[in-house]
Amino acid sequence: MTPSDSELDEHLRALFGGLDTGAGFDARLMARLRAETQTSASARATSARQQERARYRRAVLELQGWRRSMLRLLTLDAGIALLLVVAVAAYWPHVSHDAADIWHQYSAYITTLAAVLIAAVPLFGMWAELTRRSVGTL
Amino acid sequence: MLTDARVMELVRAERRDEAIALVVPAFRRRVFGLAYSFLRDREAAEDVTQEVFIKIWRALPGFDGRASLSTWIYTIARHTSLSALRARRPQASLSDPEVLAAVEATNPVPSDDAIADRAAILRLVDQLPTKQRQVVMLFYMESQSHEEVAAMLAMPVGTVKTLLHRARARLSASAGMLGAIA
Repeated sequence: MTPSDSELDEHLRALFGGLDTGAGFDARLMARLRAETQTSASARATSARQQERARYRRAVLELQGWRRSMLRLLTLDAGIALLLVVAVAAYWPHVSHDAADIWHQYSAYITTLAAVLIAAVPLFGMWAELTRRSVGTL
Repeated sequence: MLTDARVMELVRAERRDEAIALVVPAFRRRVFGLAYSFLRDREAAEDVTQEVFIKIWRALPGFDGRASLSTWIYTIARHTSLSALRARRPQASLSDPEVLAAVEATNPVPSDDAIADRAAILRLVDQLPTKQRQVVMLFYMESQSHEEVAAMLAMPVGTVKTLLHRARARLSASAGMLGAIA
């Protein structure tokens, strides 16, 4: 005998109408969510600490690199100045009187020009270093 | 009261815990039903339901309201259920004694005849094609709302009605042949 629609409905409603999670489900879920919240907060704090440490390491490395490059430039600069002084001292006795007169006349300008050129080397080096770094961070 | 706007407002105010406290009671039963319709195992469905709400809690900051909250939750529930289903073959059957006992436990104490009838019906539901079985379970769980079942299974309402009609015809015929329902 074929059951009526209402009988079938009644049985299906009885079978599935009360379908729900077991007792204590909400409490278990909330406990898991609380644990998740704590884990998440702890993970965020750990991540922030790691990022801060990495940022500090990067800053220290950059500073060390900067110091090294400045030292190289100053060494190079001092070398150039020393060579210039040695060259002038070596060739001075062989310079003609006319050239010596010219030197006496323009010594202030020539010295200033030499000083500017020597000082320009580290400045140029600093500019090159800054340009390299700004390109590197792009 | 739970509305999509209220949930988004709480999430924006970084009050995710309050948002999930609103979401859980509103969707717990439906998420569980959906998981159960896939897994046919009460314990596994409860595990999946928990997993779904954990995922929702994690993903809430990214909920932008483009889809409705219910659509978003059902999508997470379906994907999680399918992943769990793939991970745990072979599956349980609705007509397993444990499942029968669990279903009976959710209902008022029935007579012996009613228990026998329901057990027979449950076995018949178990033999339905997957989609028909899911539609039948969710339709009778969800106060017989075609629209809600359609939203849960991401199907057009017409498809739900068709599947339900076929399932009922099949159940009715099978029950008649077996003489399961007097």
